[in-house]
Amino acid sequence: MESTFNLNKFLKAMQKRKALIIFVTLAFVVFSAVASYTLIKPVYKATTQILINQNTAINQDFTSLDIDTNLQLIGTYNVIIKSPAILTTVIEKLQLDETVQSLTDRITVNNIESSQVVTLSVEDSSMKGAVLVANTTAQVFQEEIQRMMKVDNVSILAAAETTANPNPIRPDPIFNMVIGAIVGLAFGVGITLILEQLNTTVRSEEDIEEMAGLQILGVVSQVDSNLKMEKPLNLTTRLEKDHYADSEQDKKVNAAKIGGSY
Amino acid sequence: MRTANKTKRLMPRKLVARTNPHSIAAEQYRTIRTNINFSTPDLHSRVILFTSAAKEEGKSTTAANMAIVFAETGKKVLLIDADMRRPTLYRTFQLGNNTGLSNLLLRKGSLKQSVKVSGIANLDLLMSGQIPPNPAELLEADALDELIAEMRETYDYILFDSPPILSVTDSKILANRCDGTVLVVNTGKSEKISVEKARDSLATAKALILGVVLNNYPMNKENYYYHNYNE
Repeated sequence: MESTFNLNKFLKAMQKRKALIIFVTLAFVVFSAVASYTLIKPVYKATTQILINQNTAINQDFTSLDIDTNLQLIGTYNVIIKSPAILTTVIEKLQLDETVQSLTDRITVNNIESSQVVTLSVEDSSMKGAVLVANTTAQVFQEEIQRMMKVDNVSILAAAETTANPNPIRPDPIFNMVIGAIVGLAFGVGITLILEQLNTTVRSEEDIEEMAGLQILGVVSQVDSNLKMEKPLNLTTRLEKDHYADSEQDKKVNAAKIGGSY
Repeated sequence: MRTANKTKRLMPRKLVARTNPHSIAAEQYRTIRTNINFSTPDLHSRVILFTSAAKEEGKSTTAANMAIVFAETGKKVLLIDADMRRPTLYRTFQLGNNTGLSNLLLRKGSLKQSVKVSGIANLDLLMSGQIPPNPAELLEADALDELIAEMRETYDYILFDSPPILSVTDSKILANRCDGTVLVVNTGKSEKISVEKARDSLATAKALILGVVLNNYPMNKENYYYHNYNE
């Protein structure tokens, strides 16, 4: 029925349901705030930096080829860090109650901008745990690589440290609340649009003129029930007299009753 | 069922054009009066039907108030309750419903006898009369045409209040005999689709639709000026 989108009508509808939209938006913001601060368990992140350097003792001359080799090596090492060989040892050492798979998910390995530095990040529900796992993994990796590759080319550049007042990386309450506000706003607008579409009643003069092609003779506003009578009707006394005077005639007219009643 | 007490309280609100002649609503009825006069310029006396798509959209209230504002102009007005199924006019004016339209259509009694004084200058009332078993058939008889012709001799405005057009056929018959029909629409309650259906049934009855009165229209800035003007 209503095929064209009317921006003016849309804005009017939004204006009318302002309260609803604001309420829904606030509800979403409050919900995400509550969820962020109480429901979602915080996640902390600790990072160690590992330096990988091939051939340190053997060859003093650095060529670009060496660096390339190193980079390829780093690719290999990235895989090795997250391999069961390392992680099983970490789990055993720390007596963690989890599988290699779940630990792998918590560890991310990156090398910074084609450098030979690899960052090892671990997420954990406590800062202490994250630091411990990160450092242990780095250590185990350093030890294991010697055994596996027969070279000692891994050094720990910066061990993870527990800061005095660690901030969890997740959840980010402000971010969540912004997302909540956006989702809430979209939701409120959506509800408004649906309500507008569902309401098939006549609500404005335009409705009549557009749809039925009828002209408006006028509108009558709702009569205020508190309106004080300016002019008393004062009909009753006279009317009652008329009414009783009429009743004689009525009897005559109605002598024969009209049909049946139902 | 309404108690007599409740009716009494409702009445002043219903006849707002009489009880509060300076109210916004009364002024709005006068605007409608002007527009009706403009849309039927050539007629000496005007026979106007008030109907709506569904029940309880404000036909009777609109008709009664329109009758009052028409009477204000000094013209003779007759307001007829043609809803012989659920009559309301006798309640609005707190009168009896012993004689009225149904009797006249059965050719019982004369128009003069049956008409009641409203207590408002220039305004006479004709109740629906006893509830007949066959209102539609009564209206279809020639008696209606003769009655309207007789009314035209005395009155300048003859206003019919009728049943909802989508429920019963009475209003279609009446619309066909009247000079013009006013469709009352309850803002926010009447379905668009039923307004369209009402328009189409009036078209099949070959009725002239004068236009729509939007009843219960929410107050907004646009009609504030009515208020300020009188204060």
